[in-house]
Amino acid sequence: MRPPAEAIGTLALIVGAIAVAIFIGVEGALVYAVWRYRTSRVSTPARFDRNTRLELAWTAAPALTLAVVFVLMLGTLRDIGAATDAQLRIRATGHQWWWEFDYSGIVTANEMHIPIDTAIDIELASVDVNHSFWVPELGGKTDMIPGQINHLRLLTRRPGVYLGQCAEFCGVEHAWMRIRVVAETKEDFDRWLATQGSPATASGDGARVFQSNTCVNCHAIRGTSARGEAGPDLTHVGGRATIAAGVLPSDAASIRAWLVDPQRYKPGAFMPRVPLSDADLDALASYLGSLR
Amino acid sequence: MSAVPLWVARPAGASAAGWLRTVDHKEIGVLYIGMGVALFALGGIESLVMRAQLATPNARLVDPELYDQLFTVHGVTMMLLAVVPLLVGFANYLVPLMIGAPDVAYPRLNALSFWLSLVGAIVVYFSWIAGGAPDAGWFSYPPLAERAFAPGPGVDYYILGLAVNGAGTIIGAINLAVTILLMRAPGLRISRLPLFVWMTLVTSFLILGAYPALSGGLVMLFVDRQLGGHFFDPTAGGQPLLWQHVFWFFGHPEVYILVLPAMGMVSEVIPVFSGKPIFGYRFVAASSVAIGFLSFSVWAHHMFAVGLNEFETLLFSVTSMLIAIPTGVKIFNWTATMIGGRIRLLTPMLFAIGFIAMFVIGGLTGVSLAVVPLDLQTTDTYYVVGHLHYVLFGGTMLGVFAGAYYWFPKMTGRLLSERLGRWHFWTAFVGLNLTFLPMHWLGVQGMARRMWTYAADTGWGPWNFVETAGAFVLAVSMAIFALNVVRSLRGGAIAGDDPWDAFTLEWTTTSPPPPENFRTLPAVTSRRPLWDRKHPEMRDAS
Amino acid sequence: MIARDVRPAAPALDRTILGMFLFIASEAIFFLSIVVAYLASREPGLADARANLDLGRTAIFSVALFSSSATVAVANARRDVRWLGATMLLGAIFLVGQGSEYARLATIGIGPSSALFGTTFFTLTGLHGAHVLVGLIALAALAAATTRRTRGVGPITWEAVSLYWHFVDAVWVVVFSVVYLGTFL
Ligand code: HEA
Ligand code: HEA
Ligand code: HEC
Ligand code: CUA
Ligand SMILES: [Cu+2]
Repeated sequence: MRPPAEAIGTLALIVGAIAVAIFIGVEGALVYAVWRYRTSRVSTPARFDRNTRLELAWTAAPALTLAVVFVLMLGTLRDIGAATDAQLRIRATGHQWWWEFDYSGIVTANEMHIPIDTAIDIELASVDVNHSFWVPELGGKTDMIPGQINHLRLLTRRPGVYLGQCAEFCGVEHAWMRIRVVAETKEDFDRWLATQGSPATASGDGARVFQSNTCVNCHAIRGTSARGEAGPDLTHVGGRATIAAGVLPSDAASIRAWLVDPQRYKPGAFMPRVPLSDADLDALASYLGSLR
Repeated sequence: MSAVPLWVARPAGASAAGWLRTVDHKEIGVLYIGMGVALFALGGIESLVMRAQLATPNARLVDPELYDQLFTVHGVTMMLLAVVPLLVGFANYLVPLMIGAPDVAYPRLNALSFWLSLVGAIVVYFSWIAGGAPDAGWFSYPPLAERAFAPGPGVDYYILGLAVNGAGTIIGAINLAVTILLMRAPGLRISRLPLFVWMTLVTSFLILGAYPALSGGLVMLFVDRQLGGHFFDPTAGGQPLLWQHVFWFFGHPEVYILVLPAMGMVSEVIPVFSGKPIFGYRFVAASSVAIGFLSFSVWAHHMFAVGLNEFETLLFSVTSMLIAIPTGVKIFNWTATMIGGRIRLLTPMLFAIGFIAMFVIGGLTGVSLAVVPLDLQTTDTYYVVGHLHYVLFGGTMLGVFAGAYYWFPKMTGRLLSERLGRWHFWTAFVGLNLTFLPMHWLGVQGMARRMWTYAADTGWGPWNFVETAGAFVLAVSMAIFALNVVRSLRGGAIAGDDPWDAFTLEWTTTSPPPPENFRTLPAVTSRRPLWDRKHPEMRDAS
Repeated sequence: MIARDVRPAAPALDRTILGMFLFIASEAIFFLSIVVAYLASREPGLADARANLDLGRTAIFSVALFSSSATVAVANARRDVRWLGATMLLGAIFLVGQGSEYARLATIGIGPSSALFGTTFFTLTGLHGAHVLVGLIALAALAAATTRRTRGVGPITWEAVSLYWHFVDAVWVVVFSVVYLGTFL
């Protein structure tokens, strides 16, 4: 089966061409009528007012056109939607306003890695309101609706970074709910997954600050006692390209800035400002940045 | 023949109390139109603020909370509080005149419907000063619209306001339907009804079928929010999707409620300004009925991404595509009406032609949305925003302007200026394409709708800037129209009874019409009674 | 030209009656949306419904409401205020019955917020009850207007009010079937 984006692209070209043809026909007729029958060229208007055959014809012609479009659509539909050929399953869960990705127990956030040339079944869930998972270059979107699991088939042949966006309005920070998908070779992907599966270090100043503050109520860092679930898993947060679903780059300086005042960068974000000394902030930021 | 504007020459005196008490269908029509214009201006101003915020990436002109309120109230205003009253107002004013009746079937109920509609709108707008406007989108999907996620009072004002407004709209629709069915002049058979009246009749039935479903949904949302209910609460077994089904069962017919009357206006204007009877009257009328029925069977095309099963997906895709057929019939018949005619390109006709030209674009993008795989790419993006504004601004609003220029002389006794009219048209035409065309590219590139801002690295900045510029061109255009109306009321050219050499009954009475509408009524033996009177030697066959 | 004759074509159907039909049609859609919601939420609430609804007692009150359709028909045929009174009595019995069912459910902790079943049950039956109440008010107004010989209360008003009452009754046929019979059969 084809990559969904490719299948949709082909269909879009065909439907687009048909639409353009109709557009030219209709607008052309309109312009012609205005030009040909303007007042200065006609003294007495004609009086005809029906032609049943013609009218039946222009009822039937669109019907036939649409029948063709419908049949073409059936073919495309098989390449999208739920993957029957899935070789990998990822659970994606929407949160206000970040993403959780679960690779059979290995949890990460906001940045999804996928192997190329592999059909993937994304299971879509939500813990709060409706969201919608959409990475345009990988295919169509499917909603995440609390209380049900939807499926989306992903498949790409080109390695690269694909950007996406939560598409269903989900509250004040809907705009800052971006997705980053990294498509890589099977080997790179396996290496990445192995890294994600490994625990983080629990030693050092930063780790101590983290564990002695409210951070642990909301965030998990595997290998430490932090098991919170209200915010993104931070086990390998430094290894991601961005934090807070695409708001800031994931380096120690940006993380520090984020910790000082999350709402400055993402006004609606549900992460509170945790008052910390400068020294603690430095330690914390460099610790988190080092979690690769 | 009276040449003085209606609102100067009111028999009851132009007092405020007179307007409050009036049960005359023409005055209620004017009230409705006034309400529609005011709310359209409010909705337009909201859209200008949104456009200003979106003009550049990472802007902080408004905060996200305010932005969410803006698009929600903009959507609610335009879809329910502005354009429906505008269209109902025209229908109220014109239907009795076009069918040769002295008034609507229930004049008092008519006043009640107007006041309910207005109070509903006021309730929605009151939220701005009472703790926050609704902010969950015009279709307020739960769980986001539930108390847990929208704790403020905004959604409650939305529920209450729309319920009251809807009650008014339903009563108004009953009134119009009964008027059309039972109060026609002798000889004015259903098969001779002016097409505007036809389409108003279909619209009334759409309202009767659709609005009560919205009321039902609102009651459920109210129970959830105020009585702790669980209709849409997935944590207690409720289903968020239930709301979507109920809402769109209303919401889809609603969009045809918004376009059919405008199509009716265009169907009156095009024949008159082509000097020819409408081509294929029966097809045009029948296609409205077909659209009416079909529009109740397509609602889930707003839900292709929610995980429908295959049968539902295909079913709703097919029904949505089918709607293109009767709509195409209309487009083709209007064009065929112009062919062979003698086209007077006056302002009403300009707008009517603009309607066809722009509506086709919106219709074609609509069909592309009915093609499920394409919808999965474009749903909830600016592509849909582009689609909806082409059909609603490029379609409905241009149609309403066509109707406004056409009937303004009948309502006030004075003509609008042609020169300002042309400026109004061309600025609207340019403005709307600048504003709404780039939305299609942005949507395909990944710009979701309802984003209060976007990152600079997306590259969406330039097109957004163009759109904002276009929106301000539209604002200028609307201001030109306002100017035109004000100047013409003060001292526009006297219109006379029949300034356009028109066909239908409303042009046989004075401009503005007397309280009882008609002193004499021509015999109706065909679809063009006034034409028959003016050209007895060339009477239409019945 | 027909001078001065602006009367409409002779109506085959009275306006008030046609208007009432259209109003009832829109009300039917309103109830339909709630009934659909009830059915869509049926599964998760079924156990609660089975355990807590009282079919037998409600059936008796329902008979009162159903027979009121007959009394209103007689009242309408004879324009007889006494039969209107009988109709109102039967309607009131129904409301009292429904009230007692509500009270019983409340004592065992079931309300609109207790669980999904409570939400859907109270919304659907409550809306119907509210319509019965409105119907009773209409009947009372008709009775009062007739005894006081208010002008404008003619056969059409009788017709329209009884149409509405029949509708309220018919809705209960659906609600009773869906909520009660549907749970136990
Ligand atoms: C006046 C209002 C109006 C009108 C007339 C239409 C007309 C149509 N609309 Fe549109 N629509 C909206 C207002 C309207 N819409 C709004 C407001 C929304 C968004 C709501 C929201 O989410 O906020 C929406 C959204 C919307 C969606 C959901 C998108 C999404 O959210 O994912 C879909 C999907 O199928 C759709 C389809 C259609 C179709 C098939 C038509 C058809 O009726 C169009 C038919 C017309 C033509 C096709 C052109 C003329 C025909 C011919 C020249 C004949 C030849 C043509 C062919 C053979 C193709 N519309
Ligand atoms: C009939 C329907 C209608 C109409 C006419 C319009 C008109 C306009 N709309 Fe609207 N729009 C919707 C229906 C409509 N819209 C709907 C349903 C939505 C979806 C909402 C949602 O997502 O929930 C939407 C959403 C929407 C968005 C997307 C928001 C988002 O998703 O984030 C945008 C953004 O650009 C927009 C812009 C505009 C603009 C610029 C106009 C312009 O055409 C407006 C032009 C009018 C004016 C500029 C007013 C002029 C007035 C004056 C100058 C004042 C003069 C004063 C006096 C005379 C008293 N609209
Ligand atoms: C009340 C819950 C809560 C607390 C307490 C909290 N956070 Fe967060 N945190 C969140 C949420 C929710 C997000 C996601 C914000 C968003 O993107 O909208 C987040 C995001 C983050 C991110 C970005 C993660 C990513 O991958 O995007 C970092 C880093 C982070 N928090 C660190 C911390 C640290 C360090 C502390 C303690 C000083 C802390 N958080 C305290 C809830 C919390
Ligand atoms: Cu999540 Cu929008
Ligand atoms: Cu639709």
